Amino acid sequence: MIRAAALFSYYDLTLLLEGFLTTFALSLIGCLGGFVLGFAAAILRTTRSRVMAPVRAALFVYAMFLRRVPFLVTLMLVFYATQSLHANLPTFAVASISICLIAAAYLGEITRGGLESVHANQWQGARALNFSHWQTLRYVIVPQAWRVILPPTFGFLVMVIKDTALASQIGVMELTAAGKVLGNKGVPAVLVYGAILMLYFSMSYPLARLGKHVERRLAAARNH
Amino acid sequence: MTLQFGPILEQWPYLLGGAALSLWIAVLAFACAMPIGLLCAALLHYGPPAMRRLVAAYVIFATNTPQLVQIFFLFFGLPEVGIILSPFTAVLIGATFNAGAYLCEIQRAGFASVRRTEIEAAEVLGFSRLQIIRHVILPHVMKAMFPPLSNQFIVVTLGTSMASIFGVEELTGRSDNLGAETYLSVEAYGVAAVIYVAMTLIATCVLALSGRLVCRAKMNIV
Repeated sequence: MIRAAALFSYYDLTLLLEGFLTTFALSLIGCLGGFVLGFAAAILRTTRSRVMAPVRAALFVYAMFLRRVPFLVTLMLVFYATQSLHANLPTFAVASISICLIAAAYLGEITRGGLESVHANQWQGARALNFSHWQTLRYVIVPQAWRVILPPTFGFLVMVIKDTALASQIGVMELTAAGKVLGNKGVPAVLVYGAILMLYFSMSYPLARLGKHVERRLAAARNH
Repeated sequence: MTLQFGPILEQWPYLLGGAALSLWIAVLAFACAMPIGLLCAALLHYGPPAMRRLVAAYVIFATNTPQLVQIFFLFFGLPEVGIILSPFTAVLIGATFNAGAYLCEIQRAGFASVRRTEIEAAEVLGFSRLQIIRHVILPHVMKAMFPPLSNQFIVVTLGTSMASIFGVEELTGRSDNLGAETYLSVEAYGVAAVIYVAMTLIATCVLALSGRLVCRAKMNIV
């Protein structure tokens, strides 16, 4: 009981809170950065001109590679690469960059799948109405692709939150690292990691629920 | 900065051995998680209400918390109640615990995709219960489940890189060792990344091929 109470000392609680906020910030950066970059990559891959062919090929290779390398390896690669370039980035920045890189690859694929799910007739119809490529995307394709893109996107955003736990390996003081510090201080590991698990859960479960809700709403709208 | 891949590539048997261990952990975890997932999916459908709620809680908990922290909990928490796990066992249990929840979701969705009318049609045609399972339900379920299951296998394979954090010398662990010995960490991790890509690509190809032959499942390789 006394050891259990030690977890809730002022210092420990602030450590946990700081870790929680760092994890939250990392997740937010990863979700937003990954979403914007992934969306841009998917849009670029819808282009048809020959000038853009190398870009499309590069994006294809990028998406295939990054989704087949463990996040830990990507993280370490970015970490050591920035170190050997003598760019003294803080570890938080390194973790943010890695998370954005990997989230862009996954969310880009999800978005591309959504855009491709819209029937080719829609492209032809818009073309017949003299829409430009961007107008077609803006007014015809994206509004329809949205409902295919959103459900798996929420699923992946939960993954982003969970992946941030690996940032503790390069020394970012996020939730998992805070747990390790407390564990080393002698607070029982069951208690520490139980609390950490609950804190992660409190972050990702609402997002997962929101995703389920959106999915149901979209499915209902489609059945009309 | 100049990249020197020579000293790393010289160690290719060491790295490929690590890759084999990664794959082995993934196969073991997946093989253990499959029956767990199947049992949980069956309980979600047919179990008593209390059991259903328990399984649902397990799935929600395991899919919404990081695998790394789950393994930390096993590795550092269980010794406090007298259970000491080797790093390999802790990682394996953690990966199985995590994969079991995802496989439960996949298998539940797979079984839910069988329509009531398909079974009724088979009954009308005079199929026995076993025949319905053998000729109607299983082919349908296997075709529907195969692509997400093989995707999940790739996810499990990538997840085994966490084992390096606990000192298991699989591919990530060994490239970390090489990086520390030669001071060529970028190159070591770069080679590891390429091996991971090759390994999962081969796995996807094998799975896609066998899926097409056995389950008539259509899968994209890239």
